[in-house]
Amino acid sequence: MQKSEIRKTQQVGLALVAVFALGGRALAQTTGPVVEVKTAIGADGVRAGSNIKVAALANIAPGFHINDHKPTLDYLIPTAWKIEPSGQVSVEKVVYPKGQLKKFAFSDTQLSVYEGALTVGALLKVDRKARPGTYALRGQFNYQACNDHACLPPKTVPVNLVVKVVGRGAAVKRTNADVFNNLQLD
Amino acid sequence: MKQAKVLIGAVLAIAVVAGLYLVNRYWIAPATMVQTTRAAGNRPMAPDFSLIDMNGRKLELADYKGKVVLLDFWATWCGPCRIEIPGFIRLQERYRDQGLVILGIYIDDNAESVRAFYNDFKMNYAVAPGDSRIVELFGGIVGLPTTFLIGRDGRIYSKHSGATDVSVFEEEIKELLGAPPSAEAAEFKQAGGVQAGEQIELGDPAEIDSEVPGVNLSKLNPAQVAQFKKVLEAQPCNCGCKLNLLKCRINDRSCGVSRRLAREQLGKLLKPTV
Repeated sequence: MQKSEIRKTQQVGLALVAVFALGGRALAQTTGPVVEVKTAIGADGVRAGSNIKVAALANIAPGFHINDHKPTLDYLIPTAWKIEPSGQVSVEKVVYPKGQLKKFAFSDTQLSVYEGALTVGALLKVDRKARPGTYALRGQFNYQACNDHACLPPKTVPVNLVVKVVGRGAAVKRTNADVFNNLQLD
Repeated sequence: MKQAKVLIGAVLAIAVVAGLYLVNRYWIAPATMVQTTRAAGNRPMAPDFSLIDMNGRKLELADYKGKVVLLDFWATWCGPCRIEIPGFIRLQERYRDQGLVILGIYIDDNAESVRAFYNDFKMNYAVAPGDSRIVELFGGIVGLPTTFLIGRDGRIYSKHSGATDVSVFEEEIKELLGAPPSAEAAEFKQAGGVQAGEQIELGDPAEIDSEVPGVNLSKLNPAQVAQFKKVLEAQPCNCGCKLNLLKCRINDRSCGVSRRLAREQLGKLLKPTV
């Protein structure tokens, strides 16, 4: 192969690199979910009249953020986990972490946002008259994601819970200590 | 020996290309993007729509034929949308007499917030609520802001996804205002990247209201529709979504890959057997 041909091959290679590196669609990475949410529960069961800790664990795609539960600006849509209480299980409190203050191209001020992994904790109380059994609670996780240049529509995803109420004498084992050790829910 | 070196170089180049593509596709949140089509004949006609603006007036795109139209999909909860608005107000003021019309279509927003924003920012152009139908008519809007520039001939000349500097719009508007209705406008400068061979694809009503979005199922009977959906469920989509074709079509109406593959499958199903 001649030097000129090698150079040509290199040029074609570089051009291809440029085309692929710059050629992506701005929101192409949104084809998968930008935010994935799962739940964790603080114990394998709870006795009637006691509390149990639960959490929504959100994973926010790199490059994106969602707004703080208490957004910096009033036009921003807050992140919220709404759990519907049942007759036997009530919601004592829901605790959100403080967001990170970040500056974006579209705002003059720093905004408080969540990026990466987000844990929202909740404390549930089981009625003292609740009978042993499993109780399903429906919940909704609301968020609205943006990157530095564009925003996706507000989204609500179901984030439901199942609480197992055990008898008075039954043993209860704590679970997901890695999640709940860092949450101030008591 | 030299040939072996060239071969290794080529393999490395391909690996780098593939790596960069994947990094870009899944990790980097790229800056703004503009799509343009190459020749005037290839540029799609902007689909007509009829909406009622926030002042109760009928807003039909057809009424603006012969004008240059900047069509902005936006929302008040969207920071990147909000920073574009003062620029649009200035552009409307500056180029109104030359034939520029700016139309704002708000998405997933409430009229009260939009009205307050409209008054606060002293917006000087028509704003109307959008719905999933108009979003689909314009090929699916994945994120906001998304802005289309429509020439005097009613064709879409560019689509900007994400906040874009007002100077980019101004340059394109000046070029479109200077072009007579039937003339081919010169190429625009690219503010970002253009995916090779990608064009703005618009839908028709039979595709929009379809059980498989973007695919016209009107020629299929119910049994064939069920069979078609099963075929799509069995085939993975290779756009990177990790879904099957049917799910990708439903979850991401703007995905050109699943739309093309689903239409190919429909073509096979409709092909007469000998």
